[in-house]
Amino acid sequence: MTPLAIRAYTTTNAAGIGKAATARALMAARSGLIVNDLPWAPLPCWIGRIAGIDTAADLPMSFPAALADYDCRNHRLALLALQQDDFLTEVAAVRERYGPTRVGIFLGTSTSGILSTEIAYQHRDPETGRLPEDFNYECTHNLDATTEFVRTVLGLTGPAMTISTACSSSAKVFCLAERFIRLGLIDAAVVGGVDSLCHTTLYGFNALQLVSTEICRPFDVARRGLSIGEAAGFALLDKENAGDSSLRLRGYGETSDAHHMSTPHPDGDGARRAMLAALASAQADVSAIDYINLHGTATPANDRAEGRAVHGVFGSATPCSSTKGFTGHTLGAAGITEAAIALLSLEQNFIPGSPTTQALDPDTHCGILLAGRAGLVSTVMSNSFGFGGSNCVLIFGKDA
Amino acid sequence: MRVFVEAVGVLAPGLPDWRHMQAVLSGAQPYFAAPLAAIAPMSLPPAERRRSSPTVRLAIAAAEQALQQTSLAAQDMAMVFSSSEAAGVITHQLCEALAGSREVSPTQFHNSVHNAPSGYYSIAMNAKLGASSIARGKWSFAAGLLNAAAQVSTDQLPVLYVCYDCPSPEPLNQAMPISDATAIALVFAPESATSSSAAWQIELTAAEGQGHNDVKGEGEVAWPAWMPAAWQANASARGFSALATLADASCVSAVLPLSPELNLRVTRC
Repeated sequence: MTPLAIRAYTTTNAAGIGKAATARALMAARSGLIVNDLPWAPLPCWIGRIAGIDTAADLPMSFPAALADYDCRNHRLALLALQQDDFLTEVAAVRERYGPTRVGIFLGTSTSGILSTEIAYQHRDPETGRLPEDFNYECTHNLDATTEFVRTVLGLTGPAMTISTACSSSAKVFCLAERFIRLGLIDAAVVGGVDSLCHTTLYGFNALQLVSTEICRPFDVARRGLSIGEAAGFALLDKENAGDSSLRLRGYGETSDAHHMSTPHPDGDGARRAMLAALASAQADVSAIDYINLHGTATPANDRAEGRAVHGVFGSATPCSSTKGFTGHTLGAAGITEAAIALLSLEQNFIPGSPTTQALDPDTHCGILLAGRAGLVSTVMSNSFGFGGSNCVLIFGKDA
Repeated sequence: MRVFVEAVGVLAPGLPDWRHMQAVLSGAQPYFAAPLAAIAPMSLPPAERRRSSPTVRLAIAAAEQALQQTSLAAQDMAMVFSSSEAAGVITHQLCEALAGSREVSPTQFHNSVHNAPSGYYSIAMNAKLGASSIARGKWSFAAGLLNAAAQVSTDQLPVLYVCYDCPSPEPLNQAMPISDATAIALVFAPESATSSSAAWQIELTAAEGQGHNDVKGEGEVAWPAWMPAAWQANASARGFSALATLADASCVSAVLPLSPELNLRVTRC
């Protein structure tokens, strides 16, 4: 594919609110994970929680009165993230330049505002079983609610939709946007994703025995599972790069495992095919990749499968790490969170390490980096894999 | 964008397949409401059939119908699935459990993802190309169609497109009322695989009509007279009006609402 300019981007995750804070955490090897302190979900685990989004009053900005029906944890997180890194200014410039109908918006989420439905189910009418009158499914829990909320806040009227493919959701939006821009359906696109903490994912992953009681340790010999985090992030793709950014989407690959709903193919076959497809799309050789941001959830099955796939394609020389020890597994927002980390790596010429990993699993043969390090970074791969065997690999680069 | 329509699958009360739908759309038969028979997709092994949700079975059964009508192999198709809500039954079960004991079953949890239909389908068919799972509320049919057509055009490969709506249990169904299950499946190709296949020109148009519910686009998109009004809540039923261009010689184009500001126009060509 022809490289596509990434004019702006932003990330809000447990390790940092905004790019600068996230970069500082990456360089200082400082995890954003904490012992779970959610009063409403007292599971013994670690979480990546964003402060200040419990109610609209907690937000540092006011929640738009006209969009009051959309008030929920997921949208408060989205609103907080939109305010970082001058992202609103960049979107406004693109909206001015092309007109609002020529700018698309495509967001990923796995659970959207499902917390609102969970709370509504706690308050059913004891007589009739009905949900509370003030519960608004369409504006909170529906998977498209976040896209509609963000679209309205940004004043965009181009094609919009939500991708929900579990933990690859907000990686796949880049592919969709690139196709639409290539076909001339739109001139620019906001892509991204938002997922917030809820009972469903905490207790659901716990039921699968995939939640660690300790902090998650990707690729550690003693790893015991994942730590769930919440995050939001956005990127602005522009066919002309009027903002003079050097960052580019270089390629992508999408595949299905066709193996199992919640367990990856043991050899990471789908992951391998997605990485090869992304390299082909970027017309890049394995030697061109300076860093791989792994999916690396810290569950034994996921890490082993991905480790085998990466080793099969890249051998042991290419530096790679999972940054879930910084942010937790942010599920539907993992794609955009780790895309942002990949872009930070390119901008800062820094390869993040694995802050929570102590002793590397000797069965891992790909080039896991425990300590972050500075170095020239010109091309980065980011892996995202989800339930349903949904795989998406993105390649980012920068113009010299 | 121009795509070839290689095959169609349909499931709705009174419309068990594309042949019945063609008869209604062409005017050869009036529409008769009749309950949809129990849906049992043949490609799902019995254990998976039991474990999967009604939405999964609905989507796969519609896809199976379309696959039976094309020589193209499922393994050679990318996949786009679209639904406003693909996990109503599971969400209800999970939220009930989470409001009580908080003991949820692992199978329930992995069935709760929006891409469960495409996940189960890809496993059943051993289909290993990319699968997207779209949500766009009441505009889900047009949004998924636009995504599918774009992928046919850029990637130059066949794409299976499936859109579906399934009622949820109460009380969840109060919050997102769906009264009947409906589904539509289409196989698109960049080149005509058979001489009989029709082509669709698909384009974005501004929604200029005066509509209701603050939705301009809906004002200019007439609801087909034969179609039950109750299906207006079903995004997939919007797709049925596009099928008229394939079954009714006098119907050349259909307009599908995509957003308050945009429609998709589908024209037979």
